Amino acid sequence: MTDIINLSIKEKVYQDKKTKLSILNDFKLEVHAGEKIAIVGESGVGKSSLLNIIGLLDMDYIGEYALWNTPTGKVRGKEMARWRNEKIGFVLQESALINSLTIEDNIKLPLLYAESTKKKLRLEDYEKVVDEIGIRSILKKKPLECSGGQRSRAVFARGIIMKPEIILSDEPTASLDVENRERIVNLLFHMNKEFNTTIITVTHDLEVANRHDRVIRLERR
Amino acid sequence: MKIFKFFITKIFLRKAILCISMFMLLCLANYTTFIASRSILSTLQGYQEIKCMNQEGIFIANLDPDSNIDMDIIGETGTRIVYDYLNSNHKYAFYTDGFMIAVPNDDDMEISLCYMNEGYYELNQFDISHGNDLFFDFQLDKEEAIPVLIGTGLSKTYPVGSTIIIDEPVLGRSVILKVQGVLKQNSCHSNFYALNSKSYYNFSIFMPVNQEFIENANIDLQLNGLMDLIILDTTKEKTEDLSRFMYDNLGLKFNFFSQEENFDYFNDYYLYSLKIIAITTLILLVVITCISIWNALVSIRLMMKDFTINLLVGLSYSRLRRIFYSYFGILFGVNLLVISSITALNRYECWLRKDATFVTYGLFGLIGMDWLALLVVLFSDIIIGMIVVESMLRKIKKIPISLGVLQ
Repeated sequence: MTDIINLSIKEKVYQDKKTKLSILNDFKLEVHAGEKIAIVGESGVGKSSLLNIIGLLDMDYIGEYALWNTPTGKVRGKEMARWRNEKIGFVLQESALINSLTIEDNIKLPLLYAESTKKKLRLEDYEKVVDEIGIRSILKKKPLECSGGQRSRAVFARGIIMKPEIILSDEPTASLDVENRERIVNLLFHMNKEFNTTIITVTHDLEVANRHDRVIRLERR
Repeated sequence: MKIFKFFITKIFLRKAILCISMFMLLCLANYTTFIASRSILSTLQGYQEIKCMNQEGIFIANLDPDSNIDMDIIGETGTRIVYDYLNSNHKYAFYTDGFMIAVPNDDDMEISLCYMNEGYYELNQFDISHGNDLFFDFQLDKEEAIPVLIGTGLSKTYPVGSTIIIDEPVLGRSVILKVQGVLKQNSCHSNFYALNSKSYYNFSIFMPVNQEFIENANIDLQLNGLMDLIILDTTKEKTEDLSRFMYDNLGLKFNFFSQEENFDYFNDYYLYSLKIIAITTLILLVVITCISIWNALVSIRLMMKDFTINLLVGLSYSRLRRIFYSYFGILFGVNLLVISSITALNRYECWLRKDATFVTYGLFGLIGMDWLALLVVLFSDIIIGMIVVESMLRKIKKIPISLGVLQ
């Protein structure tokens, strides 16, 4: 099987106003197309930072990263933005919605940046996605008018609307009850089964993690 | 365009208070720059105009502030003696204005009469749009028309070659004027002592004044003419003699300032004022720009989640930069439009008030100086815009777009 992710990090320095941490030292990751990977570890070991790097959101690290056999160092910002739009879907916690937009506008946000032919195709899929996820009744509502579970499904819908090849999922079930957690995990795995989408999930939930093909445990060194 | 529209309507305008405060700040910056640059440009233009009088051998009369100013005791005999003395001993430039008369015209304006002799006319080199130069060797005879130059506004009613009959206020009788030429549009005169203050000649009549004219004129013209008298090709000693002669015959103490004295005065007073205006404006601009940056960074902080989500789903930094520049372009554009409209309205107000000395002509009501000042504003906008936008982008890049921002 072909690797779609080939990542080798020597060092990533995480810095904020108070702390400076060296994380992900000598970390290597190879991922095949269609694989389901869970990343676990205690807070502060660099789980989200790793997801940022894989998702082309963070280029500030020492190491090498090839995505679809293309060294990301050679990819221009505009092209990275296109990849984030078309090939990488982000499924985040329920708070990752723009509160001033309706749920429908939030879900359709990636279409704003899509090329016209892709946009047409994805618009056709939109209705199907909305029904499959069961959020038709809240489309005209604003995020703050919806429950946590509904918002999570909306975030999920936005993450898959472009039919990405990779879904990066950061604690997608963190604030959900058991029923909604199951729903989101099933939706993720459904994408993997139906479209061979690669799933990389950062989670604290070991039960969710163990349902993936591979579990990577990050530890502090 | 769709993305830009989305950002304007769904992101920026949703935080209306931030948009309004930014707009107000930029408006303040623009208006300050506009007023200061127009004032400086106007002063520089006045400085250029006055430069022709700031030559060696030229002395400008100035009534001593401590001098007796009871004009009622001055008789025509005194002024006549002074003018006889001037004619015999000096070459001088004579100019006085402010005599308003009613002359029927298409715009129903009161007309200002400006009296000048050949010396003043040659010194100032007025631009004429059509017709011929003024000449001064006319006979002040009832039968002969006096050649005059008129302003552009008046030329619509009185083209070159036409005649105007007026009740001449200083001669005290009716005279016929013949339009010899038309002054260039927006020709103006700067106040000697406030160079940025202008009187426009669009509705003025330039009356040529010769020796015979002064002799026949009333004391108002004779005295007013002495107030701004310019003595040409002379020396300090000769002007001191003249000053003494004037004091003896009129009881008025006149000072005559030389080229050097004038030059020092201009440098000390006008250049200093210009420097103060420029420095104050610059400081104000820096302060306003700093507040604008702070406002922009607060906006970024409040909209960080919105930007991050957009960056996650396909927005690139280069596109975000374009969006910011377009957004500020619109803010500056609206500002420029507001300033242009206010200025045009101010100029139009002079037309409504029938204020003949201030009415002007120009594209969309704005004269050349206004356009130049707007150009300066545009230039400062480009600089402010670049500083603010790049600061915003730096801030966004400094907080790496990450999933953490959303959580």
